[in-house]
Amino acid sequence: MIKLLLRVLPFVFLLAGSHFSNAQTTTLPSVYGRVLDAQTGEPLRGADISVDFKKSGVSTDTAGRFRIYLPFGEYVLKVGHVGYNPYRIKFYLKADYELNVQLNDVTKQLEEVIVSSAATKRDIQTPSLGVTVLSLKGIKKLPTMMGEVDVIRSLQTLPGVSSVGEGANGLNIRGSNVDQNLIYIDDTPIFNPTHMFGLFSVFASDAIRDLELYKGGIPTRFGGRSASVLDIKMIEPNTDKFKMQGGVGIVSNRLLAEIPIIKDKLSVMVAGRLSINDFMFKWFAPDYLKNIRANFSDVATKVFYRPDSKNTISISSYLSQDYYRVDSLFSIENVIAKRTSFDYGHTNFAIHWNHYFSEKLNLMLSAASTVYKTKTYAPDTVNTIDLNSFIKYKNISASFDYQPNTKHKMNFGGTITRYDIDPGSLNIGVVSRVATVKIQDEQSIEAAIYADDEFKLNEIFTIQYGLRYSQYWRIGSGTFNEYTPNRMPSLNSIVSKKTYADGEVMSSYGGFEPRLTMKYSLGENTTMKFGYNRMQQFFQLLSNNTTPLPTSRWKTADQFIKPQQSDFLSLGLFKTYNENVFETSLETYYRDVRNTLDFISGANLQLNPNIETQLVTGKSKAYGVELMVQKKKGEVSGWVSYTYARAFNQMIGDYPEVQSINEGNWLATNYDKPHTFNMMLNIQPTTHHSFSFTFAYNTGRPFSSPSGMYEIGGKKFPVFQERNNDRIRDYHRLDFSWTINNPSMKSQRWEGSWVFTVYNLYGRQNPYSVFFKSTKSGLRAYELSVFASPFISLTYNFKFL
Amino acid sequence: MPTSLMRYIFFSVIVGILSWACINPIADFNQIDATSYLTIEADISDDAALNKIRITSSANRIISQNPLAVNKAEVYIMDQAGVKTIFKEGTAMGTYLPPAGFVGKVGSTYKLFVKTLTGKLYESLEEKMIAAPEIENIVTQFEVRDQYDKVDPRRSGFSVYVDFKDSPQEGDFYMWNWKHFEKISICETCDGGAKWNFKSNVCVSPALATEEIMNYKCDGNCWEISTNNDLNVFSDVLTNGQRIVGRQVARVPFDGYSPYYLRLEQRSITRNAFNFYQSLIAQVQSSGSLFDVPAETRFSMNIKPMSDSKEKVLGIFNVFSVRKKIYFIERLKSVPKEEFALIRYLNGEIYTCPPGTVNCQDRVPCVESAYRTKITPEGWIL
Repeated sequence: MIKLLLRVLPFVFLLAGSHFSNAQTTTLPSVYGRVLDAQTGEPLRGADISVDFKKSGVSTDTAGRFRIYLPFGEYVLKVGHVGYNPYRIKFYLKADYELNVQLNDVTKQLEEVIVSSAATKRDIQTPSLGVTVLSLKGIKKLPTMMGEVDVIRSLQTLPGVSSVGEGANGLNIRGSNVDQNLIYIDDTPIFNPTHMFGLFSVFASDAIRDLELYKGGIPTRFGGRSASVLDIKMIEPNTDKFKMQGGVGIVSNRLLAEIPIIKDKLSVMVAGRLSINDFMFKWFAPDYLKNIRANFSDVATKVFYRPDSKNTISISSYLSQDYYRVDSLFSIENVIAKRTSFDYGHTNFAIHWNHYFSEKLNLMLSAASTVYKTKTYAPDTVNTIDLNSFIKYKNISASFDYQPNTKHKMNFGGTITRYDIDPGSLNIGVVSRVATVKIQDEQSIEAAIYADDEFKLNEIFTIQYGLRYSQYWRIGSGTFNEYTPNRMPSLNSIVSKKTYADGEVMSSYGGFEPRLTMKYSLGENTTMKFGYNRMQQFFQLLSNNTTPLPTSRWKTADQFIKPQQSDFLSLGLFKTYNENVFETSLETYYRDVRNTLDFISGANLQLNPNIETQLVTGKSKAYGVELMVQKKKGEVSGWVSYTYARAFNQMIGDYPEVQSINEGNWLATNYDKPHTFNMMLNIQPTTHHSFSFTFAYNTGRPFSSPSGMYEIGGKKFPVFQERNNDRIRDYHRLDFSWTINNPSMKSQRWEGSWVFTVYNLYGRQNPYSVFFKSTKSGLRAYELSVFASPFISLTYNFKFL
Repeated sequence: MPTSLMRYIFFSVIVGILSWACINPIADFNQIDATSYLTIEADISDDAALNKIRITSSANRIISQNPLAVNKAEVYIMDQAGVKTIFKEGTAMGTYLPPAGFVGKVGSTYKLFVKTLTGKLYESLEEKMIAAPEIENIVTQFEVRDQYDKVDPRRSGFSVYVDFKDSPQEGDFYMWNWKHFEKISICETCDGGAKWNFKSNVCVSPALATEEIMNYKCDGNCWEISTNNDLNVFSDVLTNGQRIVGRQVARVPFDGYSPYYLRLEQRSITRNAFNFYQSLIAQVQSSGSLFDVPAETRFSMNIKPMSDSKEKVLGIFNVFSVRKKIYFIERLKSVPKEEFALIRYLNGEIYTCPPGTVNCQDRVPCVESAYRTKITPEGWIL
């Protein structure tokens, strides 16, 4: 009761104080002062003053002045005004207290850009369509899984971006297969974007400056994949001042250093991430887990050199490594091995030279190399296995930016890439009972020239048009099977083999890829955009698993495997409100792809030298509508999005009677999830701490439901008559994170922050898949959930500036 | 860092990495399609006891319904010389058996012909019987699987490995099966206070159930039969002509200390049969991971519909040769001291005739089935 009185009394006084303030003769102390606009210095009339989170009824007068009488004591005072960020202060009132407050206009505040569909103003002004920019600063605000800031997971909160399920490898963007998306880090491609079989992204977040996701209007400088481009840029090291930052989490430790060598000219950035859970298995795990080894690391470096104002040179590298040793998790089929180790990773290098000829013209020359290697081995048995594969990518590009006048912005250039692939070498030079198998190496060259121009006809209409011509050659040395004409390629229909010499062209493909985007302004804050792309893909991933294994085979086009070709159409409507505080967008798209691949029933992809005998070609289509509302500024920011998206395949093959899947009918892909709803909310009351919530909902993905049961050898087995004819339960999840920046609140060079995260707050057991097991009474259906309970994590980050 | 804290961190990681994932049965699974297909499972082998052809119509429900026997079909096989062997429907409906004494010959090629009562015709592809190599060596090892609880029968047991020599020619495919015979003395158990009715051979429950459990002894020799639950196949694609060492073929539970009778079968199967069993393994044994392959049934693998080319036929024409080994696992050897067998104890009482009663029956027959036999198993020496 006393407590209640203590709480109520101040308000009685407060009310009394505010109502009779003119005739005040009391000895109570007061808080008084002025409230001004921080930018203009103008007084703010009508700003509300709240005391201890309750409205006081007091507001500022025309001169921005206020005064409140309060009993002695401790208070939290908030000054708020519509359209301005509120101001809060905690103080102990002993005597009259002057408080002058400057409020920031939300509309003039810098955006807390987490995501921008190509940035608010830019979005409205440029014709770019379906382009999303994410800043790492923004991504870091999203709740994370196990405290790991994760690019791939963050992207999945955006409309049009999904995956087959939690823990799946890769992304499905607007109905694309994972291999149809080009992922670049500083212009070097990434072939496997995740660590730990899909749990974490390979990108060390500290080293990333920003990422651009091209879901729709793809500039002509990009090519080689049929759906989208994720262009990740590493930070450019500071040439002025030494900086260091890092973090300690339950999964990994991170460190980044920016080291100026010659002031304003030469500096180096080194960023590393190392997983730490591995040694714990050895120390504390029960016996059956002691043998597990699971660790990963990434190292990114960049040397930045600016000899003069006209030239910059940067050399970047990106190394990622995964290592696992598991007891009979995945071994090679038909080999007896008790314990298998896996090793895989990227080694990427790029050198860029930018030269500025004039204000109108500049050139970027770059050379890039990526090596992606995988190794599967079991050295400790009589049946030694040592299976290796690699992809070597080498590229040289030249790109010019030319801006003859304010109406035209042009980009043109050329690029040439060579691929060398070892699809699989088993036990080369190894003594073992297990055979030596060598799948022939593949060599290919992909060259392209391109040009595009952004032409601003007037304030209302802008068009960006471009053309890319890509040519592809599969070159020798190599051998192709020749099959009996008009018979499905199979082991029995091989009639001869054709051998090609080193460098000889074995097959070639080429074609034009027109690209177009248009912007039409319907008003100052409203635009409509239209886009069309054609893309070609000469290089695809062969995997019939729900999600590809890191060791899955990549295959270049040849006379049996035709390049994929896609046509993509999209239409968007964009509107901003309240001086860009709110942004709404509505985008629709339709995508049509030819020559996509699937696999015959019971396909054998492991070390298969005649892989064409296992493939079925077909086509894909995807369409959707994406709606998004964003609040980009203010104490509370975030977005809400709804997506309706469909993705289908039709696999008929050249020999439909034996190859067609689902009798040649259109079938929903594994990632066809019609309804998706995402919400992200960031609340930042002060610069010292912020809260974030993300909520995700989507329709369950398709699975194959049996039509009945039959018996073989007295055991029961399901009858699957049709593929993907039913859906798993819907998915939904809420995550929360609380970030405390600089808890000491002192300004110092070392600044720490803590991030507390709860992933899957209400612990929903979201299904990843449905499968069937045989029991005595029949078959039983089961659900697999990957992250079935809430996961709490705490991460410590630091900055040394 | 104190150990307790390390343990805490470790367990968070372990809970995180290994136990996030969970598998739950779906109690109310609804099928969206229910269709039956003709199923033909034809086994032609060089072991007379294994030759049989079973023709059924698959159940259109995955639970609580069994495939229906398809009877009165005309069934025969023909070898490469045109010799026809007719299979006749036996006492078990839908099961067709060859004339007594028929055995398949290694090296011979067989083709199956089926005509159902409705006049539909089915023919198989030609399949050749390939010689199975002898099982050269059997190794048993006591192994504990720590991921299971102490009371879980899957935890401790004996893993059985075989060695054999693969033939020099390529394209050999193997399959292993095992059968275990356990001699039993109790043939029936009635619970809930029920009593055995010796005339109608069923348990008869009282009006009011009690907690009484009554066991009835067998009236003669009786063995319980158990078989492997999992399919186990192997191809020599990567080990052609080699001595194959340490292929696990069975896992024997540690549920007693007596020698464990195991009849191991090593079969040489055809490529088609291997592909068929591989697809079954992918559907029900290796499913439930992040990386499942599409769940697909391989219809009309090597049995084709002749009357209606669009009809889908389930099953396999399985031509194989077999080598057997009878093996007793010593379950007292090489077991660590801290490990104890999970012995099933008999609940309730054993029914005996009250003393002095005349013409009283207290024993029940051992009824021949897939799970029980009164015929002494081959090589039984216990």
